[in-house]
Amino acid sequence: MSEAVTVRPVIAARHVTMTFTTRKGPLTVLEGFDLQVQPGEVVCIVGASGCGKSTFLNLVAGFLRPSGGEVLLEGRPISRVEPRCGMIFQSYALFPWMTVLENVAFGPRLKGASRRACRERARHWISMVGLDGFEHAYPEELSGGMQQRVALSRVLANDPEVLLCDEPFAALDAMTRQVLQQELLQVVADTGKTVLFITHSIDEALILSDRLVVMSARPGRVKAVYCNDLPRPRGMDVQITDRFLELKRGIWGLVQEEVVGSLRALQRR
Amino acid sequence: MSGNTLGLWQGLMLGAVGLIVFVGGWELVVQLGMIDAFFLPPPSSVLARMLDLASGPDAVLWHDIRMSATRVLTGFALSALVGVPLGLLMGMSPAVRAALSPIVSIIRPLPALSWIPLSMLWLGIDEQQKYAIVFMGSFASVLVYTTDATLRVDQTLIAAARNLGASRLQVIRFVMLPGALPNILSGLKVVLAIAWTCVISAEMVGANSGLGFRIWTAKEWSDTGQVLVGMLSISITVLLLDILFRSLEHLLLPWQRGDGT
Repeated sequence: MSEAVTVRPVIAARHVTMTFTTRKGPLTVLEGFDLQVQPGEVVCIVGASGCGKSTFLNLVAGFLRPSGGEVLLEGRPISRVEPRCGMIFQSYALFPWMTVLENVAFGPRLKGASRRACRERARHWISMVGLDGFEHAYPEELSGGMQQRVALSRVLANDPEVLLCDEPFAALDAMTRQVLQQELLQVVADTGKTVLFITHSIDEALILSDRLVVMSARPGRVKAVYCNDLPRPRGMDVQITDRFLELKRGIWGLVQEEVVGSLRALQRR
Repeated sequence: MSGNTLGLWQGLMLGAVGLIVFVGGWELVVQLGMIDAFFLPPPSSVLARMLDLASGPDAVLWHDIRMSATRVLTGFALSALVGVPLGLLMGMSPAVRAALSPIVSIIRPLPALSWIPLSMLWLGIDEQQKYAIVFMGSFASVLVYTTDATLRVDQTLIAAARNLGASRLQVIRFVMLPGALPNILSGLKVVLAIAWTCVISAEMVGANSGLGFRIWTAKEWSDTGQVLVGMLSISITVLLLDILFRSLEHLLLPWQRGDGT
C-alpha cells in the first residue's frame, strides 16, 4: 500500500486489555493488543490455545467490552452486538428447527424485509455456496461442510462489512477444509468483504491471508506480523514452494516459543 | 439389522409371544386351582367383566374413563398453562429463578396425596378439588422441566441470532422458544403420567365416579375382577394418551422427524 493514500481501517484495536474475573481471581487474556485491519483485507490470527484470539473476535463482534483500550469499527467504538461484523462459528450455529432457506433468510427477515424478498435473497446466497436443491433440508440432514456453507451464506445474506471467522473449518476433514478455504477466498474476491480469521493451523493462515498475525501466549498481544506475499491462487503447487515452507518454519518457530514458554510458566507455578 | 437391534416385525412378534405366555400362564395357574380365583380372577373372567361394565344401559366403564380423563387433562392443562410461561421466565431471568426456586423446592417433593386433606376442606369433593390435586401434583414438575429446557438452549445459537441482528425479544421468539420446545414437550410427557397417578389417588379418597373410585368401591365389595378391569383401563387410557402426545410432538417438531430418537 502506498503511503500517500491513507485508508481508514475497518477495524482498529488500540491498547486493548481484557480481564475476566474468575474464581481464582482476575485473569488477563489480552494486554496492550494493537491491530488494524484495512478494507478488503484478509487477516489471519494464529496463536497457541488460550492466547486470547477468540476473545478478540468476541470483542469485535460486540459480545464483550474491553476492560481497557478500545476496539473501533470504521472509527467508532463498538458498543453493542454488531451485525455489521458477521460471525462464522466453529460449531456452525445453525438453527436446527429452521430449513436451510429459513436459516439464510433469518437476518433479512429480522430487518422486516418482505417474505418474498427474503426468499429471493436467501436463494441467491444458497446458490452462491453451491447448495441449490437443499433449500428445504434441515441442518441435521447435511454434512459438516454443507452446514458451514449454509452458515457462510446466512452471514453473507445479512450483508456485513466484516466476516469474523472463529476457526470455522477446524471440525472438518482435511479435504473438505481445503475446498471450503478456496470457496471462502472466491466469495471474498467476489464481494470484497474484509475478513478476520482465527485459526491454529499455520497452513490455513498461509493459504488464506493477506496479512498474518502471530499472537503471544496469555496475556495475548501481537508478537509478529507477516505480509503474506505468496502468489494466489495458493493451491498445492504453492504449498510446496520454498517460500511457503520458509514462512511456515518462521511462524512455527514463533508459535512454538510461546507454547514452550507458557508450559514452563505453568510448571513453575 | 445388526448387533443389538431387531426388525420391526421381529420385535412385535416377540412382544406378542411375551404377552401370550404371561396371560396364558396366569389363566393356567388360576384354572388349575393353584391360586384362588377370588384373589386373582383369570384373564378370561376379567375380560368378561370388562365387556359387562362397558356395555349395558349405563356403561359405567366409559363414564369412568371419561370422568378420569377429563380431570387429568383439565388439571394438566392448567398446570401447563401456568407452569410453562413461568418456567420460561425462570429460565431466562436469574433474578426470577433465584426468587422462586426456594418455593418450588418446597412444593415439588410433596406427593399429590398430601394435598387431599386441605383440598377437601377448601373445595369439598367437587370436580374443582380433582383439578386442584392434579394441578398441585404436577405444577412444580412442569416448572422445573421448563426452566431446565430453557437453560439448556445452546448459547451459541443465541449469540448467532444476536450477531445477525436479533433484538432480545426476537431472540426469545425465534431462538429460546423453539430451542426449548423439544425438552419442554418431553417434560410434559412425564408430567402427564404423574397427573394420572394424582387423579387416581384423589378418586380413591373422595369421589363418586372415575377409575380410581371404581377400583376402590370394587375392593369394598371384594369384586377383584372389577379392580383388575379398572387397573387395565388405566393402562390402556394412559397408553392411548401417550400415543396422542407423541403425534402432537411429531407435528410440532418437524425437524426432529426421521432420526428415530
